[in-house]
Amino acid sequence: MQVNGQLALTVLMGIFLVAVAAWLARIENWRSYTPLAGGGGAFGQSEGYVSKEKPAGLIRWLTTVDHKDIGILYGAFALVSFAVGGLMVVLMRVELADPGMTLISNTFYNSLLTSHGITMLFLFGTPIIAAFSNYFVPLLVDADDMAFPRINAIAFWLLPPAALLIWAGFFPIPDVIPAQTAWTMYTPLSGGVGNGNQMNAGVDLMLLGLHLSGVSATMGAINFIATIFTERAEEVTWANLDIFSWTILTQSGLILFAFPLLGSAILMLLLDRNFGTAFFINGGDPILWQHLFWFFGHPEVYILVLPPMGIVSYVLPRFSGRRLFGFKFVVYSTLAIGVLSFGVWAHHMFATGIDPRLRASFMAVSLAIAIPSAVKTFNWITTMWNGNVRLTTPMLYCIGFVSNFIIGGVTGVFLASIPIDLVLHDTYYVVGHFHYIVMGAIAFAGFAGIYYWFPIYTGRMYQQTLGKAHFWLSMVGTNVTFFAMILLGYGGMPRRYATYLPEFATLHQVATLGALILLVGQIIFVWNFVQSWLEGPVVEDGDPWNLKDEGLYTAEWQWYDRKIKTALADGGEEEEALTDGGQPAVESDDSN
Amino acid sequence: MGTEEAHDDHGHHLPAVEDWPRGFGEASWWPFVTAIGAAGIYAGAGLYILSRGDNAIVGSLVGPAAFVASIGIFLAGLYGWVYHAFVSHFWSRDASEKGANKLRWGMVAFLGSELGTFGALFGYYFYIRAGDWSEVLVGVPELTGSLVLINTAILIVSSVTLHWAHGAIRNNDRKKFLGWLAATLLLGVIFIGGQVYEYYEFIIHEEFTLVSGLFGSAFYGLTGLHGLHVSLGAVLLGIVFVRALAGQYSAERHVSVSTASMYWHFVDVVWVFLVVVLYVGAEIGTGAF
Repeated sequence: MQVNGQLALTVLMGIFLVAVAAWLARIENWRSYTPLAGGGGAFGQSEGYVSKEKPAGLIRWLTTVDHKDIGILYGAFALVSFAVGGLMVVLMRVELADPGMTLISNTFYNSLLTSHGITMLFLFGTPIIAAFSNYFVPLLVDADDMAFPRINAIAFWLLPPAALLIWAGFFPIPDVIPAQTAWTMYTPLSGGVGNGNQMNAGVDLMLLGLHLSGVSATMGAINFIATIFTERAEEVTWANLDIFSWTILTQSGLILFAFPLLGSAILMLLLDRNFGTAFFINGGDPILWQHLFWFFGHPEVYILVLPPMGIVSYVLPRFSGRRLFGFKFVVYSTLAIGVLSFGVWAHHMFATGIDPRLRASFMAVSLAIAIPSAVKTFNWITTMWNGNVRLTTPMLYCIGFVSNFIIGGVTGVFLASIPIDLVLHDTYYVVGHFHYIVMGAIAFAGFAGIYYWFPIYTGRMYQQTLGKAHFWLSMVGTNVTFFAMILLGYGGMPRRYATYLPEFATLHQVATLGALILLVGQIIFVWNFVQSWLEGPVVEDGDPWNLKDEGLYTAEWQWYDRKIKTALADGGEEEEALTDGGQPAVESDDSN
Repeated sequence: MGTEEAHDDHGHHLPAVEDWPRGFGEASWWPFVTAIGAAGIYAGAGLYILSRGDNAIVGSLVGPAAFVASIGIFLAGLYGWVYHAFVSHFWSRDASEKGANKLRWGMVAFLGSELGTFGALFGYYFYIRAGDWSEVLVGVPELTGSLVLINTAILIVSSVTLHWAHGAIRNNDRKKFLGWLAATLLLGVIFIGGQVYEYYEFIIHEEFTLVSGLFGSAFYGLTGLHGLHVSLGAVLLGIVFVRALAGQYSAERHVSVSTASMYWHFVDVVWVFLVVVLYVGAEIGTGAF
């Protein structure tokens, strides 16, 4: 009798366990079509309103309104664009290894020049920032999601069609050629005036695509402003709002006024090109385009650099063993840059013959904006000073950021000075200067974020050796390429040309070598990123960077820790975890 | 945007309250559908440009057809979106102060972006106005006639009636709310009609068009952009009106009345600024006054 009872109990328990396993398998289903651990809405973390599991496969990604999923979509889109824009420039640099026209035609070079700039700024820069901000701002301010999850989704889905329109000139459409206007699209060239080929529909398609991408960016900005203002948890006050959210808030404010203005200017240019209006051509003043473009364009520089500064201000202290030095002043300098950024645009136009009094005032404001930038730089350095510095890959990228930002920033201070600008304006000096910022600083901070938060959005750890190889190749490649460009500029090499005089050959070849070093580094990155995402050691620890030891643990890792603990029930991944010990990739070497 | 909660619809029966396709949690097809429509509008414009010129690649009707079809998809997407997110569960939706605040902040931020949108065209206008104005203002009909003054008065009155409508729903006075809202909508439509009439007069009788030089571009650019905004405002008020007719809104639940009002008042203020600088400002100091 007793035996029968035990048997019945065992059978019952067995049925119960099968039921639990089946239930868990149902929950676990959503993970089977993707190896990442992100987007775990089904585990009922902070999103109390998720009542059903997400749909499977492709449909999940098409219908998602989860900020973490959308962040991943933005990230994937940005990295694809980075690859496209990067391969474009590799082709250009290889062409420039030789003074004459050898590999590609001059017109194709011009097209690549145009698309490289637009792709990197609008399709890589803005989206990679949106990837981090979508994923992490709601976690950092402890919100359920973005203020408007569906607007968040539509803002992303406008980007792929925008990219297709921007690149449409490269597609095999008869009689359509890619734009050769450079990313600044200066009129009258971009107005299609004269006997050139810029009346081609390829330019119109690019303008339409740019307008669409601007609509997307503006929707995102509105969403972030509403989120940070109204969705913060009660304990997240303005006083203790994290530095990354501060920079995103400031950036969103800049987007709010800059991108719609560019949108209107683009529509005006399209009307000029197609309907004979007189905004910039047909009797209008081409210089007005430059005013409107740079009224957008200079804030755009800070739109792209403030959030990366936020990432560095956020990540760098974690590996310095100290809190961010002068936190308040980093916030104030962010706001100061945001305000000043609308008052510097005409420093791009010193050489156009605008009113000298106007020039002088823009020179003054441009020099002034160096002050808040320097405040940040000194705060980063003093944060590391006497700190317990751990040279992990994200930290290396942060330090690389600071180093490159100093070179890019100081060369920029010189350019803000009218007499120097008049000499250097149309040379490679300018190219070297702003690439130190966009590649050396912005992309570096992007990589810092990608490595630092890799465990959160993949659930795995990347390969440290490859990460470091990626960093050193990027650091060396960046400095070789762009320092050569600064020297070329001092030598008088004009920018934007596909061919050049033979005396510039050596420095051009050095720059090309640097670009190839960068290429190798990024190939290693792609391998590391994909392979680690698919097969890297599973991170079982909610604190893979050992931040708790230093008292620097933050909200997004708490969220991650909660997620791991909630997911423990499934137990299905222990085997994988053992393969690499699931050890956090944190070095113990102190370098103070 | 919980569309999954059970709903208590206060006895007002709405059709098809289930989201389409049947939602998975909070996931939704509507943003994707709307984005396809929006992208199609741009693609349609691109196709139209490709159909122009001597060696057109596509037929001349392809672009406009794609444009119109995409607008259809876009509107269908917006309809499904708004219906399932805001309308179908109106009475059971979260109506906390926090949720209302979020929508108001969204509208405030959007209005901020509108400053940029208008800014480029006003920038253009000020740029040419500061130049040699006597050469620009050639062949321009008299701007400050009775039509624009009446139209301005109509738009200002419509802001007042809308304010009264908003006040009425705060007091749960549904009859007054509907009345003033209908009056606002009517005034808005009359304003748009007045603008169309002005365009007709200028283009057909005065031969002052979009391509009549610098001022033509500024005039039609600014009034055209503003006209689009008034039309969008009328659509927003129209949606609010239809929802009001269907019995929605109360003293506690009227966020979309607030946000649509904010938009309408903003467009009104832009118009007053536009009349002062573009209509009056163009003629001031030129002997026309």
